[in-house]
Order: sequence, then C-alpha cells, then structure tokens
Amino acid sequence: MKKKKCIAMLLAGGQGSRLGRLTTNIAKPAVSFGGKYRIVDFGLSNCANSGIDTVGILVQYKPLVLNKYVGTGESWDLAVEDGGVHILPPYAGEKGGEWYEGTADAIYHNLDFIDMYDPENVLILSGDHIYKMDYNLMLQEHINRNADLTVSVIEVPWDEASRFGIMSTDDKDRITKFSEKPKNPDSNLASMGIYIFKWKALRKALLEDHDAEKTSHDFGKDLIPKMLAEKKKLFVYRFEGYWRDVGTVKSYYDSQMDLMDDVENIDVFSGDMKVLSNSNMYPPQFIGPDANVNDSLICNGCTVYGSVKHSIIGSGAVVDAGAVVEDSIVLPNAKIGRNCVVKNAIINEGAVTDDNDTIGGDNEEITVYGRARLSI
Amino acid sequence: MKTIGLISANYSSSMFGGLLDNRSLASLPYGGRYRLIDFALSNMANSGITTVGVISPYDSGSLIDHIGVGAPWGLDRKNGGMFIMPGSAYGLQSAGSRFLLRDIIKNRIFFDRDDADYVIMAGSSDVWNIDFRPLIEQHSKSNKPITMVYKKVPRGEDYIGYFLDIDEFGSVTEITDEGYAWANYFADCFIIDREYLIDFIGWFDTLEYMDMIQIIKNNMGIIDIDTFEFKGYLGKIKNTTDFLKVSQAMTDYDIRNEVFCNDERPIYTKAQDEAPVFHLPDADVRNSVVSAGCTIEGRVENSIIFRSVNIAKGAVVKNSIIMMHGDIGEGAVLDNVIADKYVKISDGVKIYGGDREPVVIGKNKSL
Repeated sequence: MKKKKCIAMLLAGGQGSRLGRLTTNIAKPAVSFGGKYRIVDFGLSNCANSGIDTVGILVQYKPLVLNKYVGTGESWDLAVEDGGVHILPPYAGEKGGEWYEGTADAIYHNLDFIDMYDPENVLILSGDHIYKMDYNLMLQEHINRNADLTVSVIEVPWDEASRFGIMSTDDKDRITKFSEKPKNPDSNLASMGIYIFKWKALRKALLEDHDAEKTSHDFGKDLIPKMLAEKKKLFVYRFEGYWRDVGTVKSYYDSQMDLMDDVENIDVFSGDMKVLSNSNMYPPQFIGPDANVNDSLICNGCTVYGSVKHSIIGSGAVVDAGAVVEDSIVLPNAKIGRNCVVKNAIINEGAVTDDNDTIGGDNEEITVYGRARLSI
Repeated sequence: MKTIGLISANYSSSMFGGLLDNRSLASLPYGGRYRLIDFALSNMANSGITTVGVISPYDSGSLIDHIGVGAPWGLDRKNGGMFIMPGSAYGLQSAGSRFLLRDIIKNRIFFDRDDADYVIMAGSSDVWNIDFRPLIEQHSKSNKPITMVYKKVPRGEDYIGYFLDIDEFGSVTEITDEGYAWANYFADCFIIDREYLIDFIGWFDTLEYMDMIQIIKNNMGIIDIDTFEFKGYLGKIKNTTDFLKVSQAMTDYDIRNEVFCNDERPIYTKAQDEAPVFHLPDADVRNSVVSAGCTIEGRVENSIIFRSVNIAKGAVVKNSIIMMHGDIGEGAVLDNVIADKYVKISDGVKIYGGDREPVVIGKNKSL
C-alpha cells in the first residue's frame, strides 16, 4: 500500500445538544445547512479540495442519516481505491466494547485504523464547522517546521477571545501557552479545533492519555496541554477567512444567512474550492404564477406558491399559496401550509405546518419548529 | 419473466434549428437539468430492468458524457448494467428512424447472449413517466409476440409518427402514418419476445435499411400484435415548437407531479451539484422552472432556466428556454427564445420569437 502523507479523522460523534430539536434524531454533522448541504459537506469538501483522499468519520450519536448521506464518499470524489471514506463507529474487541469517551478517546479507539494506513501525519477535524480551507497549505507549514502538532487558529476580536481556546505564541508562531476560555487573554488567536499531528507523536500521546489517571480524553483539555508541558514542537497555522462553529441555534441560523448576506467571505456559488454535497435527485424548483421570491436561496425540488423574503428554502420543500416566509430557514422537504406566516424561524426537516398558522415572530429569538421527519 | 431494455438513441431531426448540430436528440437538454434520454433510462430503471442497451448516435459525445456508465440509473452493475452499443451511419432517409433494423442486427449479441424472456424497445426523445411492469405483466399473458404501447391523442395533425388501428380484442389491424381525432398514437415503445426478435431479424435481414415498425406495418398479415394503452402524460418533441411547449408543460401542476415529482418513480439524471438558486432582492420569477446554480436579478415568466444561468437586473425572460451557463445582460428582453448552452446576451438586446416559431440561439453565441 502506498504510504499516505496525511489522512483525516473527522469527529462526528457528538450529540450537539445546544442545537435542541434540530438534533433530536440526527447527528449534528448531518443537520441540513444552506438548503441543500449538510454541515459535514464543508469538512469533506475541504478534504477533497485539499487532495486528502482518506477520511475516517468517527460516529456515535444517531448516525443513520449521516452514514447513508456519506455513503462511499463518492459525492465528494472520495471513493478512491487505496483510501476513501470510512465510517468508524465504536466497536467491540476481545475485552468487550466501549463508547467514545472524548475526542482523543475516539481517535485512540481507532489506532488500528490509522495504523492500517500508517500515514506520516493525521489531520483531526470537527464535523460541525463552516469554512472553506485548503488543508494542504497548513500541512506544508507543518512539514516545513517539522512540527509535532500544528493547530489552526483564527484571529478573533479581543473582546470575544475569552469565549475560545486561546493559543499564545512566540515570534516564530511556536505555541507557548494554551488557555481554554481565559478571563484575561494575552492573545487573540483562537483554536479552530483543526489539528495536524505527526502520527508518531499523536500515537504516543494517545497511548499515554489512555493510561493517565486524570484525563477527560479531550484534545483541547488534555492532549495539547500535555504535549506543551513536554516541550513538544507545537505551532499555530494562521487561517484567514470565514470560519464559524455552528454549535448553537443562533450561530447555525446566522451562518446560513451569511450564505446570502456575506457572499464575499463564504461563497458557495463560485467554482473556487467548490462545496460538494450528496444531492438527492430533485427536479428543478418551480416558482408559481403568484409567487414572490426575493433575496433568498431556493433549492432544487422546491415548489413556491407563496411569498419568500430573505430566507432559505431547502431541497424539496413547499411554500403553499398565501404563505409568507421571512428571515427564516425552511429545511429540506418541510411544507409550509396555506396562508402561514413564518418569521425568524427554522422549520425542521420534513416538518409540516398547519394552514393559517403563525410561527416565530418579530422577537430576536429564533424559533425552531417541528420534529425532523427524515427519510433515508 | 426477465426483461431487458434496448433504447435507441441513433436518430436525429432537422426540425430543431441548430439545437442538434452537435448533439443527438437523445441528449437534448430538457427541463432545466435533464437530457431527453433520462426518461427512457429512468423508466427502465424504475421498472426493475437492470440490463439496458443504448444504441448510441453518430454524434455520441454529449450523450456518452451524460450517461457515463449508467450510475445515476443504478446501471453501473456487475450483473447486467448498461451497454453502450454502436449505431450505424443512417442515411438522410432513415435519419428519423427509431428502430432501424441494421442497428438491431449489428448489436444482436446484446440480446442473443442474454436469457431474458422479453425485450422492451424504446426511443429516447419522449417526456413521460411510465411503469413498464404492467406492460410486462400484460404481455406475458398475451399469446402475441409483440405488444405496442400507444396513447390516445385528440388531434392527429399535431403528431408525426405512427398510429394504430386496433380491433375489439386489442390487436393491431393496421399501422398508418396519419391519425384522426382520438387516434391511437404509437409511443415509440414496444415489448417483444426475445426469441421472436431473433427470428424477426433472420426473416427480414435483407430489409436492414428499414425501420422495424415499417417492416411490421408492411407485414401485418403475418405478425400478431397486442396493444397497451398509456394514459399518462406523453410529451412528444419533434421540432422546436414542440420542444418549447413540452418544456413549459413542466409548469403544469399535474404534469409536474406525475412526471417529475413522482416519489415512486423519480426521473434520474447526472448530478451536477450546484449551489441553490440565488434570487436577489430585485428578482421577480413567475410560473417558471429554475435549476440550481442560477443567479437571478431580473424578471422571469413562463420559462425554463437551466443551471448556472445569470439573469441581470432589469432583464426580462418570457416564454423562453435558457440552457446551462446562459448570461442575460441588464435590460435584455427575450420572448419565445430558445438559447442553447453558453449563450451571452448583451445589455439591452431584445429578441422576440413567435410561440409557433421560437427563435433559436446557437451554442456559445454572443448577441
């Protein structure tokens, strides 16, 4: 087997409980995004666009939709011989089975998988971030510096720095300190949760972490501080561009609206670093004779008879006659009944609203309506 | 009752004003994201037929690029799957021939070596969504070797093709070139016993320059034919006027639901994976079909917009078809126009066609 320079491990097992009803029966990375995408598309497309052709996806929480959606990885051109996409759920061994107890623990349980490829480096990704990034640039820096670990960071406004994991560095970008949500930050370089490890260094750290007494088996809380204490070569990679963690309903909503409102920074329209998806086979959208659609993203398979303003209508969704959808996101295959008024709301996947209903309103809080009815 | 499918894509037409200059009728873009052959292939796939031969046209580039190895139709298989077979060079006289005997003889190995009971033979230029399973079921109970599929049509004059005279037992008594009110219009599709097909090409091999239907028509006395009525929508596309009309049929609620939004039998096509359509604040789209990847700032009415088309501010597109990557400039007006792929219309240019005679703008043209 050809030796791999770098393979990716994508952490997709978390519940994403802060997304509330959006994740009651679906893993966070599989939640719909921008009408036709799912959150995981961004990470997978980045891998494909960076020439990383081997991706392990670590799943645990309600993975059925995610498994089906990712499939063989073909939609991202990742169904390659000698590599490809692998769904990695927890599995039993000679001494029984265990759940993944944390981000590092999930990777620990798949040491054998990584050893199968025996790569020089391992890229660790989160399945719930929205960004377009060429990992190759980061990998190149990582290799040039002969780093044990490179952490991708983004400059955040100083007054927000205390919400992030902050990396302090010397003048050569070597990490000197890592502080999780510091009260008085001395740096504004926030970790994006994207790591490239030398496989040998990661392997050793994971084995030691597994045997450690006090550990939560987490990259940010345990592994990185430990490697830092051991004076390993840890560097930052400065990413410039759009990056959002869509862990809350508000950030999930805002980031999707950015697809329309901030096209300069997060552009899914141009061919550059194209975001790919496993799109279902829908006919093109139909906009009815009395429909009114402005400032909105409408997907294939949609049928719009009503009025849609500054909103995203997901694949196969229906906006019936007389309905008004404003500043809202209608997830795939949802149906907005006749004369419904939907404002500042997210309508769950496949949810159906009653005719003449009012959902959401002028308040800033985003209403999440309905329970997802998913078909795979 | 194993059935295999044989789709003929080796025919053309001069009635399309340049749209078929570099492509076959089978690969004519249709309905925002499809090619005409998608219907024949999807109908086969949705009816559980997993071995499908496609007789490719002389100008096969765009067709082969589109169908590939048949993956969208589940025909990328080890057991069976899609077989792309060479078509013969048809002369001018046979240009419109759906079932040229020579093409069938040339590719006889496809059905010679299969052990199927029946072969469904179909053209590749009709817009329809048919379940072949009831046809197979009916044919298997019939003692006749061929069952032809037809649709009752209201007026003969709008249809070019074959019509069937049918007796009270459902058998064809005559095949004619002209139909009258509520005639039985042959849907370019029939099912035939595989062994009978082998015999047939042996009997008539000296007539290899003829269409099978023509041969059947001339030999009605010795060939028994059953019929199967198709009651759904059948969009026949034989010229540019038909093409515009059958395209606009997609905006009809019932036709859209029957043909395109059919959960049991979706129409599959090659996935392109474009972004959602961006309707900008000034966009005004009515009664139209719009495909992914478009950016729309102008007005669109009763039109079919293919993927990745830009329609600028103040532009008006009415009763038109704009194929992939069209670029319609500010203030341009298009009415009854069919614009092929990569057409660029400059700011302020106005083009008006007639609804019986749409203006066709060739591929890559800038106006």
